[in-house]
Formats: sequence, structure tokens, C-alpha cells
Amino acid sequence: MDIEKKHFTCVICPIGCEIDVELQDSNVVSIEGSKCAKGKEFVSQELKEPMRILTTTIRMKGAKWAMLPVRTDKPIPKRLLFMVMKELQNIELKAPVQMSDVIIRDIAGTGANILATRNMKKEREGKSV
Amino acid sequence: MRMEADVTVIGSGPAGLVAALHAYESGAKHVLLLEREEELGGILKQCIHNGFGLEQFKIDYTGPEYAERLIEEMERTDVRYLLNTMVIALSPDRIITAVNPDSGVFKVKSRSVVLAMGCRERPRGGINIPGTRPAGVYTAGVAQRFVNIDGYLPGKEVVVLGSGDIGLIMARRLTLEGAQVKGVYEIMNYPGGLKRNIVQCLNDFSIPLYLSHTVTEIRGNERVEGVVVSRVDEKMQPIAGSEQFIACDTLLLSVGLIPENELSKGAGIKLSPTTNGPITTETMETAVPGIFSCGNVSTVFDLVDYVAETGMTAGRNAARFAKASKKEGKSIEVIAGENVRMLFPQRYSFEDDLILFIRCAKPIERPLRIDISPLDMHFKRLYARPNEMIRVKVLKDRLKDITEPIEVNITER
Ligand code: SF4
Repeated sequence: MDIEKKHFTCVICPIGCEIDVELQDSNVVSIEGSKCAKGKEFVSQELKEPMRILTTTIRMKGAKWAMLPVRTDKPIPKRLLFMVMKELQNIELKAPVQMSDVIIRDIAGTGANILATRNMKKEREGKSV
Repeated sequence: MRMEADVTVIGSGPAGLVAALHAYESGAKHVLLLEREEELGGILKQCIHNGFGLEQFKIDYTGPEYAERLIEEMERTDVRYLLNTMVIALSPDRIITAVNPDSGVFKVKSRSVVLAMGCRERPRGGINIPGTRPAGVYTAGVAQRFVNIDGYLPGKEVVVLGSGDIGLIMARRLTLEGAQVKGVYEIMNYPGGLKRNIVQCLNDFSIPLYLSHTVTEIRGNERVEGVVVSRVDEKMQPIAGSEQFIACDTLLLSVGLIPENELSKGAGIKLSPTTNGPITTETMETAVPGIFSCGNVSTVFDLVDYVAETGMTAGRNAARFAKASKKEGKSIEVIAGENVRMLFPQRYSFEDDLILFIRCAKPIERPLRIDISPLDMHFKRLYARPNEMIRVKVLKDRLKDITEPIEVNITER
């Protein structure tokens, strides 16, 4: 049976190991180049369903800055990134917000929550309160 | 107004925050942190992507979370900070002249000083692209601020010149926000940013990367209407006949970062021509006693973890200097040898372990050895690329009897 070769760069940490995989009938027969176990996990996940953390911003009223930075609290399927972006586009929040506040639960059915990634104080007459 | 401090840190990005914290934890009583913006954190506040602090905290923070964590730690201490405070001069005897809206111009007399001003982006003028001067040309960092803080999209059809990390991160960010990124053009024959950013910012979104290419003309009157890109030869000269017009409304520049050292120069601190930052020892002390420097003002680092590591060292040693005005110790030179483009720090003063940050001169895609002479010491690597800094540590114990300069060479195995 033919051996299929695939190459991955692990993006879990900045080392960025270059991982070579050999597949037979979609089963991994060899996996080389990862410095730690996380690389192997990454590759098998990549073969099944690539997952990514999404970081973006949500419009915010009543704060010094127009945008609140947010993230998913766990990786979500890569193919759903644009769908989630779309859902977040129409949301507008009001200050104050605390870092790690859950902004939206189970976004787009992914099971991931959207979290604020910074504190944003409420502004009144140009002063924070 | 005149203030006094044991340690004064200039700049509150990751290097400055960590330096202030560690100066305090190392016993400096009056630690003062000066920040010119209206909040702490520096550039981290607009770097909303994750990947920060993996080595330092083993947690995958976003930039703002990483900043918030450091700020919270600092707020539990007695470190004092002043916002909206611009340092306008620093003298070799460590008198700082600063200005802010509350106090006007004031001076701080500090027993030691830590420079942590970071770096700035190389602007269009720095790379000389002929053509018109329409709106729609931004550095990647300015575009990052527009999108992530102010909430505007700088354009709909984007070309990125240069493949530095911020350019790659912005290619992804603009794509997610609905813009079409037509390509990233890099004049060198290897990328400028980290491999993981090529993979997760470009490949993930099918954004093409063109190596050995550059923008040779910008077209458009009021607004950018397109750019001409050309292939370049080995001498980085555009190849006639390879020109191609690409319609776009925005050109992002990600063509390099320059340490911001106006203050350092004013204090008479000697800069290195390869890092564009102060020449320092392993304790992060510059050539002017009692003035330390860390983070991207010293040399542009790839990872915030490295920036923080130098901040820690600078803070600790600045506290030590403030206490004891350390006597002039001996120091020897650390020399960049074969295949080494950049080396930091440039001197060794027998106080601490020597943590070397190295950039190789060209990509080497074969097993290689980093030799530290005159020690019989080698580090092995499978490859080396100029866009990925190499960090190696040499223990103080191994260095104590050295009298001649330390030289770092990279050789293929
Ligand atoms: S395999 Fe491990 S060490 Fe290598 S990049 Fe992935 S997480 Fe980092």
C-alpha cells in the first residue's frame, strides 16, 4: 500500500518543530521531528480537524477605546473562524468589562466561550471612574 | 519639582514592567516607572493575538492578558509609576528630565536607570519606494492600532511589503476582518518573521508569500490604486521585465524595527552598529555605569519571553547597583565570528551566566554547531535561520578564568 507523506510545522509553541508524518490508509505510521508530545497531538488533530484559538475585537461603548480585545477560551475548528467573526460583528458592549469576563457563551455552537482579554473601565466626562 | 529614586525605568512595555518588578523584588525601595502613553503596557495592548509568555509562564496569553498579568503583579508592590510622562533627556550621571501635564518639566535623580523604550517601525522613507504619495500606505503597527484599538479597517484590498512578524499577524487580522490580502512580498530569499507565523497567519488563510520580491512603485493619486512588484536578483536589485501591477487600496509596510535610542545617545551611551542598541554586558549594563538597557531598545527580539528575560536581568542588576554603586569590574568583549550577523550582549563582566542571543548571517538548512571559544563548548542545532534568534546559555562557572575575548562561530557539521 502507498505511503503518503505530509509535513507540518507545529504552532503550539515558538520553537515551531518541523514534523514529518507518514500515512498509510489515513493511519499514521510514523511521525518525526517533534520535540515534545504536544507536537504529535497537534499533528493528529491537524489531520482530523484543524483547530485554532481566535483572537479579535468587539465594539465597545463608554470606554476610552473603541474596541475590546477578546479570545476564544479554547481552540475552535478553523473552518468556523469566519462564521464566528460574523457573529461578533454585530455585537456592541458597554463598559466596564473585566479581563476574563465571559462575553458570549458557547459561540456559534463550538463549545468555546468568548472572553475579554483586558480590563476596560467606564469613562465619564473624559475621566475613568 | 525634583524627585529621587533608587531605580528609574523608562518605558512600561514588557521589558520595563518586568525590570521594575524585579528591581523592587531585588530590594530597591524607590522604584519609579515612567510611561509616555496614558496607560501601562506599551505595544502589548494592541497585540491582541496569542502566543505571549509560553516560555515564561507556560500559558498562552494574548498581548493584553500578558500585560495585565504583569501590571497586576506590579500593582501589588510599591513601584510608583507616572503616565503621560515623556522623558526628554538623560544625563550620564543619571539625572532624568521629564515632562507631564501634572508637573510640567521635572527632574529625577536616580541611583540607577533602566532603559526600556522599545523600538519603532522603519517608515516608508527608510526604504525609498518611488511613485506617488497617496493615502493608504501604513506601517503594519499603525494599521494594527487602527484595527485593534480604534476599530477602523485601513482598506479592503491589501498588499504587505516585508514579512516581519507584525506584517504577518496583520495579514491574518485583516483577512479575518473581511479584507483581501493579495500577498506578502519579501525582498530577501527567506522570510523575516517566525516560521510559526508564516504557517498560522499566511498558510492557514492561503495568503501567498513571495520571496525575493519587492514593491518598486506605488500608484494612485489620492488613494493607493495599486503597486508594482518586481522580482529581485541576488544583489536585491529589481529584475527588469519582472514587473507586475497589483491593484490594491492599501500597502502595509513590515520592513523592520529600529531600537529607539535617542535618549541613550544623549546620555553618551555607545551603540552597537549591528543591534542599533546600547552595547551592554550580560548584566544589561551599558557603557555608562548605572545605566542598564533591556528588551527591544537593546536589540529587536523575536519573542516577548526573551524581552522579559533581559528585563529581569536589568532590573535585578539595577537594584544591585543602586545599593552598592558596584565598583568598576573588568569585562571582556564578546565577538560575532563566522556566520553570525548579530550577537547580544557584546561584553561579559563575570557577574552572571552569559545568555547569548544570536542571529545567523544566512539560512543554514543543515546540521550545524555553535562554537564558543576559547571555551571548548559547542551547541548543536539542526538548522539556523536569520529570522529565528538562537538563545544559548553559558554558565558563569565555565567563564571565570577566561581572559581573552569570547568568540561565537557557527559552522556546518
Ligand atoms: S512539538 Fe512541542 S516543542 Fe515542538 S513546536 Fe510543538 S509544542 Fe513546541
